Amino acid sequence: MMQWVAFLFFASMTLLSALGVVLLPNIIYVILSLLSTLVMVAGIFFVAGAELVGALQLLIYAVAIAVFYVLVLTAVPWEKALKKDSHYRVEGVLTFPILLAFYLEIILVFLLGISVSPKGQIREFIQNLGNTQVVGSILFSKYFFAFELVSLVLLVGMIGAVIVGRREDKTYEDGSP
Amino acid sequence: MKMVPLEAYLILSLLLFGLGVFGMIVRRNLVAILMSTELALNAVNVAFVGADSHLGLVDGQVFALFIIALAAVEAAVGLGIIVAIFRLRKVESSDELTDMGG
Repeated sequence: MMQWVAFLFFASMTLLSALGVVLLPNIIYVILSLLSTLVMVAGIFFVAGAELVGALQLLIYAVAIAVFYVLVLTAVPWEKALKKDSHYRVEGVLTFPILLAFYLEIILVFLLGISVSPKGQIREFIQNLGNTQVVGSILFSKYFFAFELVSLVLLVGMIGAVIVGRREDKTYEDGSP
Repeated sequence: MKMVPLEAYLILSLLLFGLGVFGMIVRRNLVAILMSTELALNAVNVAFVGADSHLGLVDGQVFALFIIALAAVEAAVGLGIIVAIFRLRKVESSDELTDMGG
């Protein structure tokens, strides 16, 4: 019961803050609203029992990425954007039935998949350990190659960000940017 | 202990993803478009973790960690591109970026 109340609180706050991200005109309020959304999603992770993911959500998302957004806002002139209103509102609302069909497809695949997949192999192993230990042992055994691949993607992204952000006077020979 | 049902996680994920896509379409500011992308990524994470608590496994949490790492990369590269666009073109709205329009 307590879990359900906590879930409803976190879910409603998540959706309220997400509405703020989508609809607020001032970009500073938007980023504060995004920060609130990320923290509330971390609360949902805690309700679901995923403590490690919730803690990393707080550490990486709500601190590092949000601060990074604030830093970039100082580099672009956001005052100019205050006067413009948004556009394509009707088209944005019209995407929702498509998304609903997409989610129904996902649910179908999920339920069909778990009904035929072999289960119960590592349940006993999981129940004896804490969440962080389990995630760590799965991450470094079953998904170790994907883990290393993610580190490669991080390296490529870092190099790409440095190359894109490099200051140079002329990009091409004829001077066009 | 009464568990939160899987449907609640999926409905929340659907609404959050819908809001993210809505923001990507509606917003003009490039930074706000990237923030809406973060909403959609978080919606996927909620679906993963909710399915995990339904199944009693942790594979979805591992993928949620991967998504968090990829979101960091996406923010770094995307914001770098936005800063570069502003420095070269002096625009920061998606309406003025019409170079590739037909």
